[in-house]
This record gives sequence, C-alpha cells and structure tokens, in this order.
Amino acid sequence: MRRTLIFGTYITALTITLFVLGSCVSDPDSSGLEYMPDMYRAPSIEVYVDNGEIRGKRFPKYKTALSALTPPNNSIPYYGKGDSMLVKLMLPYARKANILFRESHGLYGFNFSMFDEYALAINDKNPFLLTNKNSEEMFLKGKELYTAMCQHCHGEKGDGMGPMVMSGAYLGVPAYAERSALSDGQIFYSIYYGKGMMGAHNSLVTKKEIWTLVHYVRQFQNPDYGKFDKNGNPKSLVKMDSTVTKTK
Amino acid sequence: MKISNIQRVKRTKIRLIAIFSFFVFLFPTSLLADGGGLFKAKCATCHQPHKNGTGPKLFEARKRWEAAGEGDLIVEWVKNNAKLRASGKSARAKEVFEQYKGSVMTAFTDLKDEEVISILDWVDAQPDPAAAAAVGTGNVTDGASETTEEEEGGNMWMWIILSTIFITIILSVGGVRRQLKISAGESSTQDDQSYLSEFKTWAWKYRLPFGLGVLVLVLSIIVTLFQGLYRINVVENYQPSQPIVFPHDRHAGVNGIDCKYCHNSVTKSKSAGIPTVNVCMNCHKQISGEGKPFAGEIKKIYAAAGWDPSVPGRYTGKTKPIVWNKVHALPDHVYFNHSQHVVVGGIDCKQCHGDMTKMNEAVKVQPVAELNKIEGNIKLTKPTLTMGWCIECHGAKNVSLGDGKNGYYDEIHRRLRDNDKSLYKKYLKDGKVSVSELGGWECAKCHY
Repeated sequence: MRRTLIFGTYITALTITLFVLGSCVSDPDSSGLEYMPDMYRAPSIEVYVDNGEIRGKRFPKYKTALSALTPPNNSIPYYGKGDSMLVKLMLPYARKANILFRESHGLYGFNFSMFDEYALAINDKNPFLLTNKNSEEMFLKGKELYTAMCQHCHGEKGDGMGPMVMSGAYLGVPAYAERSALSDGQIFYSIYYGKGMMGAHNSLVTKKEIWTLVHYVRQFQNPDYGKFDKNGNPKSLVKMDSTVTKTK
Repeated sequence: MKISNIQRVKRTKIRLIAIFSFFVFLFPTSLLADGGGLFKAKCATCHQPHKNGTGPKLFEARKRWEAAGEGDLIVEWVKNNAKLRASGKSARAKEVFEQYKGSVMTAFTDLKDEEVISILDWVDAQPDPAAAAAVGTGNVTDGASETTEEEEGGNMWMWIILSTIFITIILSVGGVRRQLKISAGESSTQDDQSYLSEFKTWAWKYRLPFGLGVLVLVLSIIVTLFQGLYRINVVENYQPSQPIVFPHDRHAGVNGIDCKYCHNSVTKSKSAGIPTVNVCMNCHKQISGEGKPFAGEIKKIYAAAGWDPSVPGRYTGKTKPIVWNKVHALPDHVYFNHSQHVVVGGIDCKQCHGDMTKMNEAVKVQPVAELNKIEGNIKLTKPTLTMGWCIECHGAKNVSLGDGKNGYYDEIHRRLRDNDKSLYKKYLKDGKVSVSELGGWECAKCHY
C-alpha cells in the first residue's frame, strides 16, 4: 500500500512537471519539447537554422543571424564533367553588367563595364542548337521553366498578360511578339541582369536554363520555331542565330 | 443618264467628305486617337501614371515641362529624345536625362503629335489610386489580431489568479474551522490531529470507494502521461512568428506566382529555399503598396534590399538580412531532400504543405487532417512531419512504372523486370510498385 502510494505520488509529480514544462514551451517560436535535443539540433550551421553551438556549448547571441542569402559573387556552379558545353557554361558569364545597374538593379559586387554590353550581346549565340532530336525535350523543359519563372508576369502565351498583370498588381509587361527584333544574346542578357522594371534573374536560373528559356520564348514570336517536318527539316527558317539544323 | 449618275455619286462623295472633315475639325484630333491604348502599348513598359518606375511618372508630366517653360517641347522629347538633347535647346531634357541616366528612353518617331498629346491627356485624366486608398484605411486587421491574442493571454492569467484565490479561501476556512473547534473545546482527544491523520482515518472509513477512486485516478494519470509523451516533438500546427507578414494567398493565389519562383532551389537542392530579397524586389520594386495597410511590411523589404523608394528609386547597396523562422524543421538525424521528392518523385508541394494559395496567415505545419482534405493528396493518418507519416507515404506512393519519364526509377524497374520477374509480379499485386518496395523503408535511406 505504502509503495503504491509512493509510486502514485511519483507519477503525479512527473505529470505535473510535464504539464508545467508544456506550458513553459507555449512560446509560439519554439516547436516544443524534444526527447534528445543533442540529436535534434545540429551543431553545424544548417540551412536557415543556426543553433549557435560552439564546441558543445550554446551561445544564444550567435543564433541564426543570417538567412536567405544569394550565392557569393563569382562563385561557379558545378554541373558535372563530361559534356564540354556544360563545362563551358560553368564559367562566369562573359558579358558584364553596366555600371549603372548597381543603382537601378541592385547588382552591387558584380564586375562592371563602362560599355553598353547589352548592345554588344547582340552577337552572342545560343550554344544549344535546336535539332529535330532535342527540340521536343528542350521545349518541354522550357515550358516547365517558363511556368515557374516567367509566366506570372509574361503570361502563358507570352502576351504580357500574366496573372500579375490581370490582377492589377502592375502594368507594362511587353509581349514577346512585339520584341521580335531582339537577338538571342540580348534576351539572355536581359534575363541574366534584368532590364527596365525586370530584375536580374541570375540567382534564380542557371545559364543552361536561361538558354533553354531563350529557345522557348522564341516560340511566341514564331509559332513554327523549333518545329520540324517529317524529314527532320526545320519548318521555319528562323533569321536568328540559333537556327535549326538537321541531324542524322 | 450615265453622266448624271456619276455626277450624283461625285456630289454625295463631296458632301460626305465635307461632313466628315467638319466633324474632324469640330473635335480635337487628340480625342480620336486612343490615348489609353497607346499608353499601354508604347509607354507602360517603363512608365506608370502615378509612380516612378524605370522612367518618371507621366501624370502631369506636361505640367512639369510647362513649369520649366518648355511645354511645347515635350512632344519632341517623346518622339525623339536623343535629337532634342543633341539640339541643346532644352534644359528640361538634360535634367530628366540626368535624373534617369540608368535608362535611355526609346525614340518613338512613328507617333504623331496628336497621338502624343492624346497619351498625355489620358494619363492626366487618371485618378491617383494611392490618394484614394489613403482615405479611411487604418491598420484594421493588425489591431484585431492583437486583441484576440491579448484576450487569450488574459484568460489564462485570470484562471491562475482565480484558482489561487479559491485555494487560499478553502485553506483559510479550514484553518478557521479548526481554530474555532479548538477554542470551543469540542474535540478533546483529537485536538492535535493533523490534516494527514484526519485524512487517513477518513480514507480507512471509506476504504472501498476510496481505493477504487485512487485506482481510477492513477490509471487516468498514466494514460494522460503516455498521451503527453506521444505529443512530444509532434509539431502539427507549429506556427512561429515571422519578421514580415507574408500572405501566401495573395502571392500564389491572386497573383498566380508559381511556388518554384520564390522557392527556386526546390528542384536543385535539399532545401526548398527561402527567397532572397532580390527575388522579392523583382516585383516589389514596382509594388510599394503605398496607402495600403501592408505598406509597412513592404518597407521592411526595401530596408533589407537597400532600396531607396524616393524619386527616382535607387539601390543604395546597404543591405541587411531578413531572418525568417524555419517552420518545417526536421531533427538533425533525419535526412530529407526536396529535389528528390519534387523532381524524381514528382510530388506536388501541397501533399506536405497544404494549399498555400488559400493560406492568409503565417506558415504553419498543416495538420494531417487538413492535408487529407486536399484533392489529389495521398491520404495519411499519422501526424504531419513524424516518422510514421513519412513511412506511411513511402508505403502508399506509387512510383513511375518504367514509362521512360523518370531516369532513376525506370532503371530500377528495368533491373527488376529483367532479373527477378517473380518479385516484380509480387510487387505489382496491389497494382503499384511503392517507394517502400524499392527500398524506401530502409533505415539508411533517411538516417545516416
């Protein structure tokens, strides 16, 4: 009897302690009690979570002070080895931003040029040539990217009537069809560093993805772009540099 | 007959022309040109009626030129600003160019004078939306949420205070009773009896019901205890505060922005990624929410991005980080990779995060009951973000059936088909090859 009583008292005490502890963690920014915090909380700095731990001790003043950072400038992505084209694309973009882009597009810390590199970009060629073999895959990937990255402003049909514009958030997204004079290199430059009201998208898409998008948006200017007939010949001779060739 | 016919036709033609030209002279030509349409087609890419963008706002731009004494030159500026600047006859042209030297205005030599005027007429007729919105809008929503929070907190304290008062009253009444008994000399033999011994005699007197009561109490305490233990580290409904009030329903719902635009590393990395502030600025450079209740929140983005929204807006280069609170945080001993699930597994965001297009509060861990309500989701029973939940889904999810769309799983399917047909058939008994059958229940898949 005595033993059961003691046991009961222990259980009661434990429950009360748990409830008290439970009420202690009613802080909305805490995710609650953990069984073994040393297994739950990484000593290393994880993505968006820094527990401020140094050699087994926690220092609240070092707790997450930074989050959501762009990659350091001039860092190079690694796409793997093998394909020489991809290896080439790992290198930094050869065209520099204009010095005025610092104030207009916030591109501090980039390498700058005093020249109008946008005008020079007119001669840049799309390294991914469209062929009857790869065009379907290229446009499939392009559509996926376009839906995620561009569609909310530029619209599903590239007419500048995306949901952002239709909801009245802002005006003035041009239609691709009106800008058919742009060269591939200039479209790339605009996506990479931004143009006018459009921000720089180099932190969102890789260079390979931008070139894929360049192919994709050309469709809005010429519906036959990248389409092939039965013999594998291009349906339309596009005047731009990324002209389609037949492969065997 | 023939001649007179021709003459008649000629006459009517002349009359028509006369009437037409009369009307043309009667109305100012600028009204015939569609100013609004022209504005949207030619100007709106860089100019807005009431806000400075790439170029200055066009509302009363003509007045500003007139104030500079060059009201007639604005048309020339619009048509070919480089020529006007080169001619050197306009000081205003130089001023505007210096102010916005980041962007050179395109020449519109194809526009007629009256078309330019019609655009300016149309812009001047547009009412200012910011001024209209500023009237009579306070911080209504914020105020409401604060009061409810306060009420909840107040309730809690009220209960604690009330219970303390009651306990004190009960104890003091008991004490008074005892004092009275002692002073009245009622209980001669029991006057030293403590509460405990009094309780013991009482408990012995009613030992059967008392024993049963204690048993029930102890059992219920044990059950509650275990239930409590099962809730430890279950983070359903976890909703930490965030530095900026971010309405997902407005961004992903009304404005139709794809999840992957802001959380763009989801297809490439372990982490889905919180957008960096330059991604916010891709739209918010234009959308300042001026005069709206949430303008203060957008100001926080500007402070973080180092954007000075005065005229003309510019980046100062002085940035500071926004520190968001992580919501879906898994323990350190679990490995979870977003790109594996989204790209290879083809899982939709809403399977785990719920329908964000309707989420108008801070992000929280959606309870599994909410997730099950969403169409197309695999229905699960265990609480969100627990191991049981992961395991359940790995057992239920059908992975691609070697249809050539999925490199990694197609290879596994091919090997299964070619090497172990009986096992493959066993797997296909329920009509699918689940993740668990391809090793999704191996401990080392997630714990290593």
